[in-house]
Amino acid sequence: MRVFVVCAAVAVVAAASAGARPVATPGVSSDEIHIGSSVPLSGEAAIAGNVARGIDAYFKYVNDKGGVLGRKLKYTYLDDGYDPGRAVNNTIRLIQQEQVFAVFSSLGTNNNLAVRKLLNDNKVPQLYVSSGATTFGRDYKKYPWTIGYIPPYSEEGEIYGRYVVKNLKKAKIAVLYQNDDYGRDLLAGMKRGLGKKAKSIVASVGYDPTSSDVQPQVTQLKASKANVLMVFAFGKFSLQAFNAVSRLGWKPQIFVNDVSSAASLMAIVPQKAANGSISIVFGKDPASPQWANDKGIKLFQSILRKYGNGTSSRDLKDGYFTAGMATAYTLVNTLKKAGKNLTRQSLMNAATHLTERGNPFVLPGIVIHTTPTSRFPITQVRLQRWSKGAWRTFGPLVSAKPG
Amino acid sequence: MPIAAFTWTEFAQQLAAGIREGAIYAGLALAIVIIYRSTRVINFAQGEMATFTTFIAWSLMNQGLTFWEAFPIVLAIAFTGGVVIERTLIRPVENAPVLTIVIITLGLALLLNGLMNLIWGGANVQFHGPFSTRTIDVGGVPVSVQDIGIVAVSILLVGLLALFFRFTKLGLGMRAAAVNRDSSRLVGVRVSWMFALGWGIATVLGAVAGMMIAPVVFLDPNMMQTILLYAFAAAVLGGLDSPVGAVVGGILLGVTITLLGRYVGFIGSTLKLPAALLLILVLLLVRPGGLFGKVAVRRV
Amino acid sequence: MRRRLWLELSAFVVLAAVVALLPRFVSDFRARELAIVGMYFIALLGLSILTGFNGQISLGNGAFMAIGGYTTAILSVDGFYGHQVRDLWTIPIAGVVAGIAGLVVGLPALRLSGLYLALITFGIAVSFPQLPKKFDHFFGGTTGKILNLAKPPFGLSTTTNNWIYYLTWGIALVLLVAAWLLVRGKTGRAFKAIRDSEVAAVSSGISIGRYKTLAFGISAFYAGVAGSLYAIANAYVNPDVFPIILSVYLVVGLAVGGLDSLFGMIAGAALIYFLQNHADTVARWLNHLPALSLDPQKPGIPSVVFGIVLIVVMILLPTGVGGLVRRLFGPLTTRLYTRS
Repeated sequence: MRVFVVCAAVAVVAAASAGARPVATPGVSSDEIHIGSSVPLSGEAAIAGNVARGIDAYFKYVNDKGGVLGRKLKYTYLDDGYDPGRAVNNTIRLIQQEQVFAVFSSLGTNNNLAVRKLLNDNKVPQLYVSSGATTFGRDYKKYPWTIGYIPPYSEEGEIYGRYVVKNLKKAKIAVLYQNDDYGRDLLAGMKRGLGKKAKSIVASVGYDPTSSDVQPQVTQLKASKANVLMVFAFGKFSLQAFNAVSRLGWKPQIFVNDVSSAASLMAIVPQKAANGSISIVFGKDPASPQWANDKGIKLFQSILRKYGNGTSSRDLKDGYFTAGMATAYTLVNTLKKAGKNLTRQSLMNAATHLTERGNPFVLPGIVIHTTPTSRFPITQVRLQRWSKGAWRTFGPLVSAKPG
Repeated sequence: MPIAAFTWTEFAQQLAAGIREGAIYAGLALAIVIIYRSTRVINFAQGEMATFTTFIAWSLMNQGLTFWEAFPIVLAIAFTGGVVIERTLIRPVENAPVLTIVIITLGLALLLNGLMNLIWGGANVQFHGPFSTRTIDVGGVPVSVQDIGIVAVSILLVGLLALFFRFTKLGLGMRAAAVNRDSSRLVGVRVSWMFALGWGIATVLGAVAGMMIAPVVFLDPNMMQTILLYAFAAAVLGGLDSPVGAVVGGILLGVTITLLGRYVGFIGSTLKLPAALLLILVLLLVRPGGLFGKVAVRRV
Repeated sequence: MRRRLWLELSAFVVLAAVVALLPRFVSDFRARELAIVGMYFIALLGLSILTGFNGQISLGNGAFMAIGGYTTAILSVDGFYGHQVRDLWTIPIAGVVAGIAGLVVGLPALRLSGLYLALITFGIAVSFPQLPKKFDHFFGGTTGKILNLAKPPFGLSTTTNNWIYYLTWGIALVLLVAAWLLVRGKTGRAFKAIRDSEVAAVSSGISIGRYKTLAFGISAFYAGVAGSLYAIANAYVNPDVFPIILSVYLVVGLAVGGLDSLFGMIAGAALIYFLQNHADTVARWLNHLPALSLDPQKPGIPSVVFGIVLIVVMILLPTGVGGLVRRLFGPLTTRLYTRS
């Protein structure tokens, strides 16, 4: 009983002192802002960890130019091996041990889902999630401290569907999709885009990420006599799909989803299959000759050369680095907008009232825009077609905003 | 979900894809079997060793060498590398429990994977193999020359190995060393070097498997990780100490998985691997040594 | 024999005291890290009973952890016939469900041994993550299941991390004592007899089938409890939370701990936690060596560090920490017996 009284007394005193003096925001001091991420640096997705290295280089560049409103950016990113369990552990370490101000651009749908409740319960911002799952922008009522960044996968699928309806009247569509939420989001979006023409899908086959090759699936799709092939795959599986199409002597109109469409990847698949493929684009691809003389990409390369830790020539053409810099650019603008009196609340407020023009690492003309009820920062994309070894954008900016 | 109807043409193509797939498992399974035969150890690094040597081939070809110029150099590097690994990492723990050695091979796998990420980056790269990617018409079914080449190479390899183990003194010595170390020593076999030789040969086999598969699945540091799982299964199916079993097991597994995944709706792509493993388990219950393996008689 | 008994008893008392006092000296987050070490420790105790004392290799105990974790997630999120179960009470249920799965796996294991058994159990590790994907209505597919964040029960005024720490280590100590009693008793003698020689065991009237299956069941029970605690600590499960490599790491921990050394499993558990989560720290240590400068946060470095440490540890301690302790403190005969 006496213990209880002591505890209660301590609690009362603690509460009183907390009320008297505003508790300093964790991760923010007069001269520093501490930001954290959890990304894969080992395991099968290790290469995607370069997103964090791009962010790191950009923050150092900003710091050299005086920081954000007089504060330097400190950045801690931890390896989760793309394992959500370890992402949870990293995030707790970031909040409790490293005392970060906000968790930013952590990678992967499930890894972000796993920590969303935790971050929202602790009122820690979960900013610009590196995932195209719609839920991160849509479910703000339940998770007010969370906001996405890239266009939702389902909207991307819908754009392909709408394109087919408008331009390919006699389409018979075959779909190769990764059999998880990511692939199924794209597929469901495309069906929505097709509307009444959804029955023009003549075959759809999922592959499991534990497969070693998707040739059997492509063989099956070819047998459906389709003339359009949607590749909603990831990494090497998309490359294998092009390979299989070529080996089977098939000549469909191919659509390939954004995540798999890096120019460096497209350049190494059989070109007779790749030529004419269509995809969407919103970030500048440093491997694409289209941007060889672009100011933004020049800036990207000079930053990475100067501030990257052991930058190789390979890194300078790696889209993960530019993707990281694009989000870092937006975060810096968000922090500026949140102002000198920086709190987690003011940061969320800034992140949900954003109008950013001229991000040098995304396509010209894209306006990054959010409101408290529309938490999808990038909702403008363009279509692009692969020909003669490079992507060429065509048509106007298209909306990828969830309806 | 709409699913294409059955046609014999597609069935033949699936069968061909399955056989090709299986030949790739077989290549790595052979390497596993060779190390198991000579040292009674399962080498978890087999996949990463194969990928690493394939990356070396890729670098050489980037320097302007053709595939066939690079090929013997890579095999020589692979053989030396395998022997060096055995001498430096495995030899010090030769008498330790088997599990200790298995864990060291796992450490090696992690180390090599990390090194590949550091040296060559994690992205997929294109590997130009020795075979044309052209397709030819075999009785109305388009089959790629590459696929035929891959299957031919794995059959060739197992033939060469069979000759080696049956007719050369070295091959016989290796078999003897694996079966009974002490007796082999007494008759003058240099047992410890036989183990190193086994590692060297296995690394060469892995390198060949890597260079065969890389043009199909694209080269990256994780290229062999999934394939290693299938190769383990293939080796168990065929019998862990039988090279012929590895190849038969590999092709059988490739065909089974492909056809199960395609034609058994409930299994599909998600359950094809578990289903194949279940079949292997059932087989092992009937034949505990796999298709071609022998079960050692236990002594008291 | 008495000397050994006293040694083990005092080791246990010291361990219990350290466990009880440690959170006072470390940060809140470290308590969480130690809790996860405790979970690996529990899983390793089970594996030690199976492999160290009964001689059956399992490369599939990560799957039993997954079964435990999913049991807890499903019971506490979806509930049992609509009644959500408090996370605390799901722990024993998770152990039992995993244990039953272990018994089922143990039956076919009877016909297999050595590396065939290892690879077939590895097949279980490979296969299990596919089930939640296939039966996604029940298991939540790749999206997984999001649990409520763990909170100290009964109005205890402590942090979540401390609560998970005491919960885990409380269970770990109980299960350590249980394992210790088990391997010292009649069952343990039967286990060891089978490990040393099946033929001799049969001829002295031991039912090999019953004991080998039992060992599998017990080891799976331990893994299930560990997996349940892991699910509670992370408040999330999906197939990637219990990846294939987890089963392999458990065997790493077992080898580092020293197969049949229950106390040694603590070292194994600490190593597998530390190498997964603090490779950057190790890289910074290594940078003190001359002519070495590793960027601890470059993709690839964590694997390099993990690999090197693992190889060095196994070459220096081929029989694990348990083997080392035995050589240092064991009677002369044991020391001679466990050469290398």
